[in-house]
Amino acid sequence: MAISVTLSGVTLDYALYSVRAQSLRNAVLNLAVGGRLMAGQNDITVVRALNGISFKLQEGDRLGLVGHNGSGKTSLLKVLAGIYEPTAGIVDVKGRISSMIAMGAGLDPDATGLQNIKNLAMMQLVPRREIERRVPEIVAFSELGAFINMPFKTYSTGMMARLMFSVITSTSADILIMDEWVSAGDADFQHKARDRLSNIVDNAKIVVIASHDMHTIRRVCNKVLAMDSGRPSFFGPADEWAQMNGLA
Amino acid sequence: MEFAGRFVAAINDLVAGARLAPLWWRVGIEQTVAKYRRTVLGPFWLASSTLATAFSLSIVFGSIFHQNLNDSFPFIMSGVVSWSITGGMLVEGSSIFLMGAGLMQVQKVPVSFHAYLHIDRMMINFAHQIVAFWAVMLLMRNFPIPHWQLLLSLPLVTLIAVLIGIPLGMISIRYRDMNYLVGFVGQALFMLTPVFWRKSQVSGKMAWIATYNPFAHLLEIVRQPLLGHPAPLNDWIASLIFLAFSAVLAVGSLTLYRRRVVFWL
Repeated sequence: MAISVTLSGVTLDYALYSVRAQSLRNAVLNLAVGGRLMAGQNDITVVRALNGISFKLQEGDRLGLVGHNGSGKTSLLKVLAGIYEPTAGIVDVKGRISSMIAMGAGLDPDATGLQNIKNLAMMQLVPRREIERRVPEIVAFSELGAFINMPFKTYSTGMMARLMFSVITSTSADILIMDEWVSAGDADFQHKARDRLSNIVDNAKIVVIASHDMHTIRRVCNKVLAMDSGRPSFFGPADEWAQMNGLA
Repeated sequence: MEFAGRFVAAINDLVAGARLAPLWWRVGIEQTVAKYRRTVLGPFWLASSTLATAFSLSIVFGSIFHQNLNDSFPFIMSGVVSWSITGGMLVEGSSIFLMGAGLMQVQKVPVSFHAYLHIDRMMINFAHQIVAFWAVMLLMRNFPIPHWQLLLSLPLVTLIAVLIGIPLGMISIRYRDMNYLVGFVGQALFMLTPVFWRKSQVSGKMAWIATYNPFAHLLEIVRQPLLGHPAPLNDWIASLIFLAFSAVLAVGSLTLYRRRVVFWL
């Protein structure tokens, strides 16, 4: 089966509930007055996070998502990962997804790095035996050395990024989805990370990565999707995008 | 058509969650162990509050009702232990999605997964309390051999907890007042359910608080087998009706709100 990611006309609205809308008293009051008196005062703000996004990725594509804070990058990653279901449009993902969207998510601060590696791999549905088999390699790649036996809360942001990146890229998923946290590692690790991402692409996989670091995008990605207020402002080859922005 | 599709998606969600059993089983154990970390007595603390409640209630109510500790303690302790998974499902259920919030925002899992995981943790906790119960009974040289019905009632209670937990958890994240309300209702129900008193001790006029209280019946199908007796048939029937009721609520709430839950966090 060919691995691919196809989005057509994906739109995502989310309702933000104010304190008032989350209060039971107001909901009950609404019932009591027939919903008229307080109508329009529900304080539910609907935000259109994504607006008509369409693109297709095939095996070997490494898509870089760029855009300002709040332009919809993370929302798009969450839609791709299946965490959000789009309000309209179709998301068609063929292949197994592994996503790491938030830094430190699902990690236990009191457990050691090693235990957290096992937990993360477990959440990615890796069988226990395989986890045991892969742990040495993951630990080696993260270069955390003796820190691997220290509680996770003692880690710096860069160390967390190393640990998470090592786990996510060692799984056998077809499609990797990563948010900006990847760029938290130091220069050495960035270099290793780029090498590994290239390797993954050699194995015919799809990578979607959101980043503000133009150089990471430039070196890792072959395609770029630029977002602006939830709309795509550019989608095409990374080279073309780099030229437009004077990065070539 | 839209509705039919959502209904099917709701059923699929429940099935997909159940099929992730190896995952929530391991995560449940890991999270329980995480609670022990850096404590000396570890598992003991999980059972301690039940033990303390049972002891205090036995001493106070044993003397009020002039019962000796040997009779009242097994009854009250088995009641408190059984309550932790029967009435306890109210409070546990309401925090299902609050506990799962972190995971929900970073990884795609069925909505029901969080219910299975949370109730799995509740049952692991219960296992600790059962061991404590048996240990105390052994010490008192009064060990009741469990009745085989326990093998039916525990899965039944677990299933009800998972199902009822889904709508409860949804309401609790949508309306934040609900958490407090559930805590308060849970406390009140503990008193109003024959956990540490017997139905026979209430006057006829007030008997309805045990008859129409679904948790009283659920409690009995766990407690009686724990004490080595079969539970009365009417408790079983009431529990099965409760199961059907929770199944309808679970499927209904998933059909209507499955896609929206993640935005309520």
